[in-house]
Amino acid sequence: MMFRRMVVLFMLALILALTTGLGSTAQDLTIAVPTDPDSFDPTRAVAAASWEIAFNVYEGLVRTLPSGELTGGLAYNWNVDETGTVYTFHLREAYFHTGERVTPEDVVHALNRIRDPEVSEARAGDFSVIESVEAAEDQIIVSLSRPHGPFLFTLAGMPGAIYPRGAENQASQPIGTGPYRFVEWRPNQHIRLERFDQHWSDSEPFFTTVEFRIMPDDSSAVLNLKTGHIDVIPRLEAALLHQVENEPGLNVHRAPMNLVQILAINHQREPFNDPLVRQAAAHAIDKDEIIFGAAWGEGQPLVTGLSPAMAVFHNDEITDYAYDPERSRQLLAEAGVSSPSVTLDLPAPYAIHVQAGEIVAEQLGTVGFDVALQIVEWGTWLERVYSQRDYDMTIVGLAGRLDPHEVLVRYESSSSRNFFNFQNPEYDALIAEGQTASHDERIAVYNRAQEILTEDVAGIFLMDPSQLAVMQSAIKGWESYPIYVVDAARLYR
Amino acid sequence: MRYAAGKVVSFAATLFIISLITFTALQVLPGDPALLILGTEGDPEAVEALRNRLGLDDPVPIRYGRWMLGLLQGDMGESLRYNMSASELILRALPISLMLAGAAVGLSLCAALPLGVLCATFRGRSIDLFGLTFAQFGMAIPSFWLGILLIQVFAVRLHLAPPGGYEGITSLVLPAVALALPRAAILTRMVRASMLDVLHQDYVRTARSKGVSLWAVVFKHALRNAGINIFTVAGIHLTQLLAGTIVIEQVFALPGLGQLLLPAVLQRDLPLVQGLVMIGASLILMANLGFDFILAALDPRIRFD
Repeated sequence: MMFRRMVVLFMLALILALTTGLGSTAQDLTIAVPTDPDSFDPTRAVAAASWEIAFNVYEGLVRTLPSGELTGGLAYNWNVDETGTVYTFHLREAYFHTGERVTPEDVVHALNRIRDPEVSEARAGDFSVIESVEAAEDQIIVSLSRPHGPFLFTLAGMPGAIYPRGAENQASQPIGTGPYRFVEWRPNQHIRLERFDQHWSDSEPFFTTVEFRIMPDDSSAVLNLKTGHIDVIPRLEAALLHQVENEPGLNVHRAPMNLVQILAINHQREPFNDPLVRQAAAHAIDKDEIIFGAAWGEGQPLVTGLSPAMAVFHNDEITDYAYDPERSRQLLAEAGVSSPSVTLDLPAPYAIHVQAGEIVAEQLGTVGFDVALQIVEWGTWLERVYSQRDYDMTIVGLAGRLDPHEVLVRYESSSSRNFFNFQNPEYDALIAEGQTASHDERIAVYNRAQEILTEDVAGIFLMDPSQLAVMQSAIKGWESYPIYVVDAARLYR
Repeated sequence: MRYAAGKVVSFAATLFIISLITFTALQVLPGDPALLILGTEGDPEAVEALRNRLGLDDPVPIRYGRWMLGLLQGDMGESLRYNMSASELILRALPISLMLAGAAVGLSLCAALPLGVLCATFRGRSIDLFGLTFAQFGMAIPSFWLGILLIQVFAVRLHLAPPGGYEGITSLVLPAVALALPRAAILTRMVRASMLDVLHQDYVRTARSKGVSLWAVVFKHALRNAGINIFTVAGIHLTQLLAGTIVIEQVFALPGLGQLLLPAVLQRDLPLVQGLVMIGASLILMANLGFDFILAALDPRIRFD
């Protein structure tokens, strides 16, 4: 009797174990992401992980397309006056996840909060060019203090998100207008979203629920993918690619990440204050070997400070200093330093930068540089290398943006993000010009700016690693964006 | 009563000292939390404004006082990384770590008690050899490696359990087994040795010669007397596990305290790290206190007065 009861209990437990495990049914989508968002409050969030998820929940006046171009979001169209400073947005009929209609006052409220340094200390700076935001019937009129080319792109990001006036708890209970509405956030476990049926768009997303599951460990995520517990890994480490690549039932999508992995050089330090030494270093670097060794061949070599992912603005004509150790030695001899000693600081948590650094040290070593490797913890790196600019060389990834200004302004002499101490008056003038120029003029301006970065060896631009999105082959419709987001509304089974 | 009061006072004093050490250690650590939050997109004005909001510019004693005051009211402050209450984050992760540690110790006792008793009772026979071999292997296999093996077999091949992540209580089975095995091995040897010790005592020989059956002696006399040692070791295991499931949580991607602690340290999420250390320390101290009392109850040589 006792024994039989035990057997029954055991079988029940087994059935429970089997059924609870496989969560994904046809209309549920499970996506593995490595970290939690930091906040869903657009005035607070700074982590890339936040917008990755919130992209499905929030919308701004304009939206980003997979190509990196902009399209109408809550505004169905907009125009700019001839001075380039007054933007008029026409609001479409859209609803918040609470069911309430989006009013021009909501838009004014959200934009006024994000530009208030008291509320949004991290983001207000990006919006400081706004002088006023006003509502007029179904229009929003934004006046800028001066023409600012990247302005619309700023509105497309998370800080441009529109949420209802009086929404108190955006940080953990966000209310937006996007194709999915927020349901639950369990830190370190998951974020659940549900399809929003009142979305203004005609095309309804396929999946009724989307769960972002927090999986800090990529190998664990891969096992979950292989056993069908999750459907998509948007960004897989290249080191694990071999585990999924030839697996039946799984697909890999490759796209440039729009990240600039840079071998940064401190221009104020000996020996790199001498252009000849910088050129010597550039000639010593074999980028293909670095991509092979640090990213398992999954990346694209860069020639300048902009990734080719920014197709419109990237200067394809540039030829950088070719791999030529002989020329490199000659240049060092010309500069009168046959074996300059330098320290290369590498940020510990980023395997791709550390491994690239080990190869760089080797390559620089063969032409005569005496490189000391120093692996530093991220907190120390940010303080000493990035803030205090106390370093010779380092390797880091600079996240791509949608507008070239946001990426290239970093090399302007007075920029606080210019930890290279790069200085070039012509470059500074171009950056200033690019902000006010027309779209076509901007292309020419930034093409020249990119040439300068390469010619002057502002840094040695190594690679843009590939974004490896791996998913069950039943999942269709995947689109990679040049920014760090997952667009669940496009996916279907 | 004096015994109990003394224990409680030393409990509070220890916690206070730990709070001081934790706080100071985190202040000395290089790395600015505001800078870590903003990363390579930060500029000095934004970093300064953020430092201001987070209250990082106040002098250290004031910050310690503020933290202590909050702590006494049960408020650990707001996590810098998650922008939500540190206590809430910890309370969500705590049950998972507690269940895991409890299950691991429970499992190891369930395996070690019968096996150890059998080994001691049939010393030198094949069951003893089996028990000792098991113990040898168990102690040699690290938990994290066993964890990976279990995932491969039971999750990937047999689909009997999820291969990581937390989907409910089933997610704890494999990690608990992985944690339990090395501890079961140690405990088996402990149980065997303590039983052998007791079985050679004069009172056992007397009982046997009076005609008491072997099993009655083993269960009534030997096990009860060996119990004190066994529970002491099991108690040590439990306290170790309360703070020591970090690696196995990593292997199984379990959202317990360890998964919270690791990134919190790297991100300099001071309120969260401080809260976690205080919770971990209190758990260990409470477990110790509990075991002291249980032992005092079990062992008549420890007096309460």
